Amino acid sequence: MELSNLSHSLNLLLPELTLSIALLVLVLFDLIFHHDKKIISYVALIGLLATGFFVINQFSLSGFAFSTGNESYRNFGMITIDSFGSFFKLIVIVASVIIVFFSLSSDEIKKTSERIGEYYALIFGMILGMLFMISATDLILIYLSVELLSLSSYVLAGFTKLRERNSEASLKYMIYGSVSSGLMLFGISLVYGMTGTTNLYMINSLIQIPHLNLFTFSFAMILIFAGIGYKISSAPFHFWTPDVYEGAPITITAFLSVASKAAGFALLIRFVKITFVSYIDTSGFWQLIHVFDWKTLIVVISIFTMTLGNFSALWQDNLKRMLAYSSIAHAGYIMLGLAVLSNQGLTAMLIYFAVYLLMNLGAFLVVMLIANKINSEEIDDYDGLGYSSPFLAASLAIFLISLTGLPPTAGFIGKLYLFVALVDANMIGLAVVALLNTVVSLYYYVRVLKHMYLTKPETAIPEIKTSKPNTILVLVLLIPIFIFGIYFTPLVDLAKGCITILGL
Amino acid sequence: MEQNHLLTYLLLTPIAGSLLILFLKEENPKLIRWLGFLISIAAFIISLFVYFGFDASAADFQFQDKILWIKSLNVSYFVGVDGISLLLILLTTFLTPLTLLSSWKAIEKKVKMFTFMMLFLETGMIGVFMSLDMFLFYIFWEAMLIPMYFIIGIWGGEQRIYASVKFFIYTMFGSLLMLVAIIWLAVYASGPLGSFTTNLLDLYKVGPSVPREIQSWMFFAFLLSFAIKVPIFPLHTWLPDAHVQAPTAGSVILAGVLLKMGTYGILRFCLPLFPQSAVYYAPFISMLAIVGIIYGALVAMVQPDMKKLVAYSSVAHLGFVVLGIFAMTEEAVQGAVIQMINHGLSTGALFLLVGVIYERTHSREIAYYGGIAKLIPVYCAVLMITSLSSIGLPGLNGFIGEFLILLGSFKSSVLNSWWFTVFAASGVIFAAVYLLWMYQRVVFGTVKNPELQNKLTDMTARELIVIVPILIFIVWIGIYPSTFLDMTRLSTEKILRSVGSFTLSLVK
Amino acid sequence: MSLYDIIFYLFAAITILSGFIVVTSKNIVYSAFSLLFTFFGVAGIYVLLGADFIAIVQILVYVGGILILLLFGVMLTNKITNVDIRTGTIHVLPGAVAVGVLMGLLLSAMVWTEWKTQPSETPVTTTVTLGRLLITDYILIFELLGILLLIALIGAASIARREQE
Repeated sequence: MELSNLSHSLNLLLPELTLSIALLVLVLFDLIFHHDKKIISYVALIGLLATGFFVINQFSLSGFAFSTGNESYRNFGMITIDSFGSFFKLIVIVASVIIVFFSLSSDEIKKTSERIGEYYALIFGMILGMLFMISATDLILIYLSVELLSLSSYVLAGFTKLRERNSEASLKYMIYGSVSSGLMLFGISLVYGMTGTTNLYMINSLIQIPHLNLFTFSFAMILIFAGIGYKISSAPFHFWTPDVYEGAPITITAFLSVASKAAGFALLIRFVKITFVSYIDTSGFWQLIHVFDWKTLIVVISIFTMTLGNFSALWQDNLKRMLAYSSIAHAGYIMLGLAVLSNQGLTAMLIYFAVYLLMNLGAFLVVMLIANKINSEEIDDYDGLGYSSPFLAASLAIFLISLTGLPPTAGFIGKLYLFVALVDANMIGLAVVALLNTVVSLYYYVRVLKHMYLTKPETAIPEIKTSKPNTILVLVLLIPIFIFGIYFTPLVDLAKGCITILGL
Repeated sequence: MEQNHLLTYLLLTPIAGSLLILFLKEENPKLIRWLGFLISIAAFIISLFVYFGFDASAADFQFQDKILWIKSLNVSYFVGVDGISLLLILLTTFLTPLTLLSSWKAIEKKVKMFTFMMLFLETGMIGVFMSLDMFLFYIFWEAMLIPMYFIIGIWGGEQRIYASVKFFIYTMFGSLLMLVAIIWLAVYASGPLGSFTTNLLDLYKVGPSVPREIQSWMFFAFLLSFAIKVPIFPLHTWLPDAHVQAPTAGSVILAGVLLKMGTYGILRFCLPLFPQSAVYYAPFISMLAIVGIIYGALVAMVQPDMKKLVAYSSVAHLGFVVLGIFAMTEEAVQGAVIQMINHGLSTGALFLLVGVIYERTHSREIAYYGGIAKLIPVYCAVLMITSLSSIGLPGLNGFIGEFLILLGSFKSSVLNSWWFTVFAASGVIFAAVYLLWMYQRVVFGTVKNPELQNKLTDMTARELIVIVPILIFIVWIGIYPSTFLDMTRLSTEKILRSVGSFTLSLVK
Repeated sequence: MSLYDIIFYLFAAITILSGFIVVTSKNIVYSAFSLLFTFFGVAGIYVLLGADFIAIVQILVYVGGILILLLFGVMLTNKITNVDIRTGTIHVLPGAVAVGVLMGLLLSAMVWTEWKTQPSETPVTTTVTLGRLLITDYILIFELLGILLLIALIGAASIARREQE
């Protein structure tokens, strides 16, 4: 690899480099300032903001980095920088920044302030894994970034060690995770055995040959999908989700449900788009190479995922667990956007993700603030909360209404664009399935509202006072939900500008 | 057409007022009540301005106001009124202050939230009636669910939680189907029109050209959503629960305005957008309407609870409206529109009156009362007029609506059978039976229950202020309906013209 | 059947048999020792494939490092040697079906697929090439692995640390 190539590559990798340096600085500061660890959080914040700055800088950039091969054959890279990737990176970074603020006010994390350095180092490991997942176009790098993400999250899921559930969550996560990443690795090896390359672009050109064994190839694809499906918690790889979400510290749960999922989706979308699309027709539909029927697989999985998520959520009494199932259901909705296999569907997914980031993090934030005080996430303990703490309850109500997808909240816009994409692709039946699911979801979201506003509490619960920073944080998540619910043109324009996935 | 922002002001008044109320202190309910009342009166006055500026000799939508909203979907903020929607807006702005006034005493806890919800709801209702953009319409349509959920759920009766959740889920189910149909239609329209659009006036041009098969699906998606709201038999099961459990103000708004949104939707969307399907399925839906009329009446007859009785009578009355709409003759549709107003007034008044004695005795059991004529004569007189109006006595409003509907359905070439009229007419008789019987059991006879002696007091000045304006309109419509019929004539004709060609083809 | 094939099947048999013992043995020390043979068998197959460096690393790291560490762990935890580990089998039928299906899939994939093969030639030592690739084409992977290890280290420390009350 020539030096010019390397510097070009590194230039495209600025956010990741910044983050790695921040990680090292973090570890160093953790060692130096072991008396007052408050500073660590701010170091983390600065590192994230710097990374975010470079990510935003990259929006106009695109290109390949770290290309493999010899002198005569050096076209594609292990890393692809494009606006699609930048969008998802921004989602991840924004989520991370919010999570840092979460952690600052979380009682669970405060109890482990001794180990706060490790906490942030591991979170940075996760973020780094996500950033690479988002832009990786080489199966080895994909596997490695998934592992980096998983490894950090296993530890973080059991980080507080305060309750047994905590360790249980960690162990469960790890066992399921190892199995699915093993499956994925096996799938990758099969693909390599058939094509002799791990680069997605090369695979794309190689699988157009007629002699490919479709059976083995499909088998390999399903195995790879197992690895990704685990990250986005789509059925049937979702079993870990409720237990882990319930057991893990709530900051990590929130992070997993948004950022980890976003990275997984980015990977899935990029993988499908680069590897299997032969061309995009004039109306924006992706024409697949006829080797593997992604459309059917994704349609089936998404229906399965959202139905299962929604119906399981109906019976949950623990709010964290309910939100876990709801996040499974949302993965199903988002996957519908991919099932359309069109630019429009992709736009819808991006919009949905931006909105999902706000409302899901918001819901978790409020649940955390309430849990800080009443030390419970059980839905029965929320009785009468609407009157004892009107601000928090109203915020939670709005986040949940947005998750349901009712206007005039941003959640509606996400669903609207998904429906438009589905109907445009003439997949009305699927749209109807999604909407029936929405009705089911209404029931369990409204159940929380019911407990907060309609049920009389058995014992009077104290008013939960929110500190100023927390109030501001809630508002930061809350206000855009209304703004985007009513005036969503900027969001849509941003998403429309970010559907470029280099490769075609 | 010149831009006129009057409708926008009308829309903004209650929502701005509701936000203002949020900033008031809960400790001062009197101020909140008065402010809420004055805001709703202000909205009523603005709507009167719209009424006086309305030109009944033009069939077009008037007071149009249009701002491009979402460029990428070609969605705009687009409002306007024709005779039908103006009448319903007037009904809304007329009833809202009255309900606020009526709950002066009934609502004691969380007055701030209540007033906020009512004004929020008013915005939603007005918005639904004036939207000329499907997207905007859908937003208002859904935005009403949440305040109504809370109104039933917080201030309702014992079974309020069950009722509110049921109401929410039923309506949400229907409206989501409608959302898919709206998108489907808008996507379809992007063919002939060149771009995705939700502009109703543009979609009017496209709708009839949608292939028959697809049109039926869209028609039913819309219809289902509206039918749940109306409610058309057999989708009515949420209604008795919601009505009975809601507080008086909620019931009045629910019966008075919310149910009308269903029938309004059918008239505004189902008929002109999908004329072929509407004509084709008209006999079937009319049949359901007739079943609703008779079923509602029969069930009402055996209700021991006054509020439930009135609730089931709603099912019957709205059956008439649906029958009138699907008869698709000018008389019938005009009658249906008048009947929508009538039902809003008389059923609203009945709920208010039930609320009046419930506030005093906390009982709605018919058997609990008896012989109250001697105790509270004014109340009984008012109840008499209202019941007679609901029955359809000539000279009062109910007669005009029902007569026109029956006349129109008899002449209807779409239904093409006088059986519909015969069965519907039997519903009128049933209505007389259950209402008069209820009246007799409650009002006449001897005072069986000694408790009533101390508990019952006659209507207060405030309650009379609430009920008298309604009575004025009940008599006005009954004696001189032309005021209202003239307003809606051209709008009705316009809608019927869009289905007209298909009506004719069916007759041949 | 050439000599090459015989050696291959020999190593394969060692791997599978010892693997079977690892899973089924009730004594953890036996399991650990059989694991040694499993690693060894795999290393042998690597050699046959001409992957000399990987084979050596397999022996060094797994046998020399991880396994020894494992055994130390077992020995130092004095109670563990006496404990009978439950290795009973539950859900035999569904398990057998699942495994059977998976095996069928794998076998048919193996048999029917036209694998991409390299023309066989005399194996050369791969260490130099590997080393070069790791700091040229795969430099990113190499560096990322470093971070992965760092994270693993921090994670391990975090798990092992005793919680202060």
